[in-house]
Amino acid sequence: MKATDIQIALCGSAGDGTIAAGDILRNAVARAGYRVISFDVYPPEIRGFGKCISRVRITTEQSYALKRQSDVFVSLDDSHAIPHVGEVRPDGAVIFESQPVATVAEGHHISGHIHPGHIPYGIPLRELSEKSTGGGRSRNLVVLGYIAGLLGLAAEHFLSIIEKKFTKQGSEVVSRNQAGFHAGFQAGAATFKLDNVFFTPLGAPHGSEQVVMLSGNAAVAQGCMDAHLDTFFGYPITPATSIMERLAVALPKRGARLLQTEDEISAMAASIGAGFAGARAATATSGPGLALMSEMIGLATMAEVPCVVFVSQRGGPSTGMPTKTEQSDLNAALYGSPGDSQHIVIAPTNVEGCYRCAGKAFEMAERYQTPVIVLLDLYLSNRYETVTLAVSGPPFNLNANKPRPRLEAGEVYKRYALTDDGISPRAIPGDAGCMHVITGLEHNELGRPSDQEEMHAAMSRKRHDKLLGALQHPDFTVSKRFGDPGRVKVGLLSWGSTFGECLEAMFMAQAEGIPCAAMKVVMLAPFPVQPVADFMADCDVVLVPECNYEGQFAHLVQGILAKPVVRLSRVPGSPMPVEAILGEVRRLARGAVTAIAS
Amino acid sequence: MTAHHASPSVPPHRYVIIGNGVAGNQAAEGLRSRDPEGLVTIITNNRLLFYNRYLLPLLFRSHKDWRELQSHSADYYQKHRIRVIRDVRVTAVDAGRRQVMLAHKEPITYDTLLVATGGRSYLPEELADSRHLLNSFGTYEQAMAVKKALPDRGTVVMLGGDMIGLDLARTLLSIDCRVVLVTHETTFWPHQVTPEVRMEFLNVLRDMGMDVIDGDAAGGVTAIEPGTAGLPARRVVFRQGGDVYGDVVMPFYGLVPSVEFMMGSGTDIERGILVGTNLRTNDNHIFAAGDVCQIWSEQEHAYRFYYGYQNVRAMGAVAASNMTGGNEHFAITQNGSLRRDGHGHIDSSFWAYD
Ligand SMILES: Cc1cc2nc3c(=O)[nH]c(=O)nc-3n(C[C@H](O)[C@H](O)[C@H](O)COP(=O)(O)OP(=O)(O)OC[C@H]3O[C@@H](n4cnc5c(N)ncnc54)[C@H](O)[C@@H]3O)c2cc1C
Repeated sequence: MKATDIQIALCGSAGDGTIAAGDILRNAVARAGYRVISFDVYPPEIRGFGKCISRVRITTEQSYALKRQSDVFVSLDDSHAIPHVGEVRPDGAVIFESQPVATVAEGHHISGHIHPGHIPYGIPLRELSEKSTGGGRSRNLVVLGYIAGLLGLAAEHFLSIIEKKFTKQGSEVVSRNQAGFHAGFQAGAATFKLDNVFFTPLGAPHGSEQVVMLSGNAAVAQGCMDAHLDTFFGYPITPATSIMERLAVALPKRGARLLQTEDEISAMAASIGAGFAGARAATATSGPGLALMSEMIGLATMAEVPCVVFVSQRGGPSTGMPTKTEQSDLNAALYGSPGDSQHIVIAPTNVEGCYRCAGKAFEMAERYQTPVIVLLDLYLSNRYETVTLAVSGPPFNLNANKPRPRLEAGEVYKRYALTDDGISPRAIPGDAGCMHVITGLEHNELGRPSDQEEMHAAMSRKRHDKLLGALQHPDFTVSKRFGDPGRVKVGLLSWGSTFGECLEAMFMAQAEGIPCAAMKVVMLAPFPVQPVADFMADCDVVLVPECNYEGQFAHLVQGILAKPVVRLSRVPGSPMPVEAILGEVRRLARGAVTAIAS
Repeated sequence: MTAHHASPSVPPHRYVIIGNGVAGNQAAEGLRSRDPEGLVTIITNNRLLFYNRYLLPLLFRSHKDWRELQSHSADYYQKHRIRVIRDVRVTAVDAGRRQVMLAHKEPITYDTLLVATGGRSYLPEELADSRHLLNSFGTYEQAMAVKKALPDRGTVVMLGGDMIGLDLARTLLSIDCRVVLVTHETTFWPHQVTPEVRMEFLNVLRDMGMDVIDGDAAGGVTAIEPGTAGLPARRVVFRQGGDVYGDVVMPFYGLVPSVEFMMGSGTDIERGILVGTNLRTNDNHIFAAGDVCQIWSEQEHAYRFYYGYQNVRAMGAVAASNMTGGNEHFAITQNGSLRRDGHGHIDSSFWAYD
């Protein structure tokens, strides 16, 4: 039996409940046991008439990226949906409002734009909503019901998610929305399904794991909680804000603290202060906030204070495109802080990775006594995936580097002792006998200011070398190769959220008979030179797809390994299309030998 | 000859065709070849692109996906730049503004309009309340619904028994279903038969294995009811008493032209839309073709319907020609009466298509 692989896209205007419907859909199918990846696109305005699209891909096994073409496309607002109607695959379904409330100007109804290869389903959404709920506002629930009825999905999971979602607004709102869903469900079940979209029944779930639905930012917040974050300081900024919002609810429940500071400089400074005091501390921001934090990150590097910074990238530079995704803060994350400011930079490639990287970031920050930047982007922050968590508990080491015990009488505490691995004994203020100075000035082993040439060289080396240990950090995937083993025609080298698209492209290329492999690089600083060099040596040609204009990761790879790569650098403000990568893979596979020769 | 040719200063001619059947599609093809620059739009309340409804009975013999019934692929429409607006209903035509009004309140402007909306199955008034218990047979979806409702070797009660129904009946008999025919004046529609011929062919149907109930003698059907437990799903009740059970009850009382939306357009309508042999209505910008129109017959001095695939197709071609400035006239290409095939079974020119 064919595995389930269905993508549903809902498109409407802000206020139509498009994103809410997408949310109910993804949660309901996840509850039914399907795997989900989902991404919402919404306008920069808080509320207005901007375009909202929620895309939900539902699969039997976890998928890694959204498909370019949806199987089912819903228009809740034709003016926004018409430009997207071509995103439906041949024989796919287009569901639209057949009874709009007002007259439609000629050419402005979606029915005239549906391609001959698509199947139109004109549904009186408003009418069904009015009849079942007394108002037209539940059109989004009606359409969800219609999809469920048409595709043969059980209503129960939808109804319980609707209840959960609206319960705060009272039982009347819950039953109204459930009634809207029911009306749509009946209409859908009574409709003859012409498109070949099928849900395949699922097997029994695995007992040793629990599957939850999380967004990237929710996964970060969950990772923070499971790593026993003590304190969070933040200043709101899209697309990182929801990390703070979630922690603002979760932390106090555990007696921990969250403070909204007056700006990003304070947030970073406070995190460093908390880290200095021995607390597990973090902040979250986006590109513009990272710029403000850069001096403080240098302080944490110099003072060797653990702290974690979650950076969710958006279109830049400056205010840029706050609600569009991009991977253009890599340089800023790696090099943004003045001086030889080395620190750890890790970038998860999916939502599960967001959870792991969040928890592991604290381990690393404490173990290597350094700032750790976790680099996400809007696509990863806002996208939802089903994530498998072990029921045995969080996979994090909460004692990665406990402050050292009290000193014995006569022992001298060297906060910055030069050791073989560069890691000095950590103490926190108040530990008996461990009085020490921390400063942004270069210092000696005791922490006293020093501008001696040898000391600066030794301390610079220490700050650099200690980070290399992170490349072997326990239970952390620094880089990983997928696809064909051995020699391949095309290798896809990728980081961050674009890796999912690379993986999908690789599977498709393999299906076409192109020998192909893909490597994700999760740790960007320090850079995993050897595995990446080995991977590149196996590839006739290496393609680096990334969502920034200059090819920042390609620069990094070429700078370190001095080997040619082919760049696929794009700034569409949206995720890199799988087809764009696949097209490039095909092109390179055809001419891979000549590409090398030239 | 091509009459309409857009030059840079003249906007392309807007042809709108209501109806996605044989006539509409034949006309679209003709319009495209005669006016390569024209904008050709077909509007239909069907979800699917044009498919061969004559093949629907075959669904009962073997599984056929709707794609296998389609007359043209989606690519055909793209290649020929024929826009098909599907799953929308035309509610009115404003001949003054030259606009077609769609149910979702969008106007579509035309320079020349072809009405090719065919007919829908006729249902006697007394059965209107039982509609939900009857299975129609006009579309792929409806045919599949019948297939789903009909058990293996199940019973179909056919009310009326027009030639569309009898075509299905011969397929059902061939797969060992039981067919009960309740006769009506529309039995053998659109053939007009004398009482003798009617008798003869009812006997042919009996010989083929059909159960024939004389509907008139039974006083006509008064109601359809859900069947009771342990019996087939439907019960057909006769006025004179008595009943018959079936798994599916299907009305086949012939077609009535789909013209409601043309009321108020100023176009002359009797039962169908009235046209001359050039298929032009009394409005110079509106043509009609196919089952929806009644064509003036000089011989009979009356407007009459011409059914059958070849006739309807010929009408589509004539309409396209005349909509682009031609001067062609419809001439009947297919006529004929009931006959028997080599096995002694009923046959009809109505069932012929190419
Ligand atoms: C199952 C079946 C079997 C048949 N078998 C035969 C046969 O064997 N021999 C034969 O001669 N005839 C047969 N017929 C009849 C045959 O379909 C017609 O004679 C012929 O197709 C008429 O073609 P047409 O183009 O005039 O109309 P149709 O094919 O009926 O097409 C009319 C179109 O108009 C659309 N339409 C109607 N009203 C509206 C509206 N208000 N808004 C938008 N769209 C509208 C319909 O959806 C349809 O697409 C059969 C019909 C059926 C249903």
